[in-house]
Amino acid sequence: MRTIPLTIEDPLKKKKERHQPRTLHDEAGFISRIFFGLILTLFAVLSIAPLIWLALSSFKTTQEFQLNRLGLPATWFFKNYPQAWQIGNMGVLIKNSVFYTTVSTLAVIVLSMAAAFAFAKIKSKATPILYGSFVIGILLTIQSIMVPLFLMANAVNLLDTRLGVLIPYTGLGLPIGVYLCTEYVKGIHDSIIESARIDGAGYFQILAKIIFPMAKPVISTLAILNVLGVWNEFMMINILVSREALKSLPVGIMKFSSALSSDYGKQFAALVIGLLPLLLFYLAFRNKITEGVSAGAVKG
Amino acid sequence: MKTHRTKAEERHAYLLMVLPAVLIYFAVVAFPMIFSLWISVSDYSGGQIFGGSTPVRFAGFSNYVRMWNDRYFWISLKNNVYIVLLSVFGQIPLGFILAYALYRNMIRAKGFFQTVIYLPCVISSVIVGILWQTIFSPYGPVTEIMQYFIPGWQNTMLSNPRTAIVPVLLVMLWYYTGTYFIIFLANLQKIDKEVIEAAKIDGATEWQSLRHVILPALSGVIVTSSILAISGSLKSFDLIFAMTGGNPARRTSVLALYMYDTAFRGAPNYPRANAVSTFMMAFSFLLIIITKLVEKKFGGREE
Repeated sequence: MRTIPLTIEDPLKKKKERHQPRTLHDEAGFISRIFFGLILTLFAVLSIAPLIWLALSSFKTTQEFQLNRLGLPATWFFKNYPQAWQIGNMGVLIKNSVFYTTVSTLAVIVLSMAAAFAFAKIKSKATPILYGSFVIGILLTIQSIMVPLFLMANAVNLLDTRLGVLIPYTGLGLPIGVYLCTEYVKGIHDSIIESARIDGAGYFQILAKIIFPMAKPVISTLAILNVLGVWNEFMMINILVSREALKSLPVGIMKFSSALSSDYGKQFAALVIGLLPLLLFYLAFRNKITEGVSAGAVKG
Repeated sequence: MKTHRTKAEERHAYLLMVLPAVLIYFAVVAFPMIFSLWISVSDYSGGQIFGGSTPVRFAGFSNYVRMWNDRYFWISLKNNVYIVLLSVFGQIPLGFILAYALYRNMIRAKGFFQTVIYLPCVISSVIVGILWQTIFSPYGPVTEIMQYFIPGWQNTMLSNPRTAIVPVLLVMLWYYTGTYFIIFLANLQKIDKEVIEAAKIDGATEWQSLRHVILPALSGVIVTSSILAISGSLKSFDLIFAMTGGNPARRTSVLALYMYDTAFRGAPNYPRANAVSTFMMAFSFLLIIITKLVEKKFGGREE
């Protein structure tokens, strides 16, 4: 690897150099390296600086924060955490978020895979209309079903219930789920299914024993997209649920925006507690997550 | 050869597999969408919809007209347009530059940079909103940093109605660029390295190979990202709700927030709220169609 010169070259000279055809290089040129390297470093620093600042500030008392907003804590104060945990009811919030996320994600996976198998491998005249209606749903803006969902949930007494949150979350995950799974199952050879049929297997057996194991990549993509989506969802659950005991983490943590916004120490501790679960999830599965997110950005 | 019995079994299996997904999807997504259209042209004002004491009547497009004449609708729409422009001309190019730099090995510790740049995207937008509200507040670190350079600087960033949208846009750039970075990085890695090597052997510079080899190969991804950016930008709600609540004086409102305020704050006006959400849907489709047309006209040749 070449060393990067510390002086920045004359821009005119750079222009001249550009027009000269360069001989074979396996690496990019000096100027590009400096330019791109600087942007990368700058953006990376800006990406984590606010979070590091947040973490450091969460160990200051509110009085200390007002005098020392940028530096390290003079004395490390840990009591913000138990206090924020208690005020924010964090244990309940995290438990609820885990519940909504896992149950709706499992439901989306099972229902999407079943529908996908039927759409991709069993011939029916209904497929174009049904499958098409799922695909259209990918472009849905959630606001356009907000008021109807609220009125419907109210009419059938599902406001402020766990089921009233799970059903819409499952329904909202289905368009992308059915789309990704159907496109994936289409790629599985018919001969595999046919030979299982000849051996006497029923369709549900084939789905459970052959299709599910083969579809592991798309299932992990779908699981990641759904976990990120449901865990962070705010607008809908904020409208469908008002009881403290049923709130999810994003809704519950809003308390620290208004009521406690001048009690900085506790606010910061609450934010750290709130972002830790997903941060750990990300650090544990970061390659799978980045793969899943880019695979989920489907062709429009 | 298929017998009559297997045909019936096939149909039976199809029905059982498709039905649960279809039922839930139609109940909580497809039907509410149509229901929403209907509310938007009605005079429904709460209470029982069918069989109530005051019957709900058809109101034509009066809700749309009233929405159109509301200045807060236009303030919100303007902010949404800023957000769309920022995402298409800010987040996407920046995401691409960052991805390209990693892809062309311009720096060591690629894994570290990839992890760090995508990191903000996995934090809940509500937490991001509260965090940045404090950072930009008069008591936050931005004030201190600015006063270091300009003594006596007064921080009115979030309280001045004319400039309050600027910090919001900056946070959006910080928060969402990572998504496009990851999408571009994944798709850059799919490009055959030999094509670039061949271009280099033919004497192409870094810039030329970028312009004539890499960008054309990515034109599909750029269009997809733009569509994602447009529909995502129009939906933006949580971040602004947590960061400014649309204030000061509703100057940082967006359509989703305007819709939310109309439906769920103060006296609920469901018909107008649904007129707003229908408009959002239509506007989103329109922008996506324009993007597709632009692609057709200027799009590169995809391999």
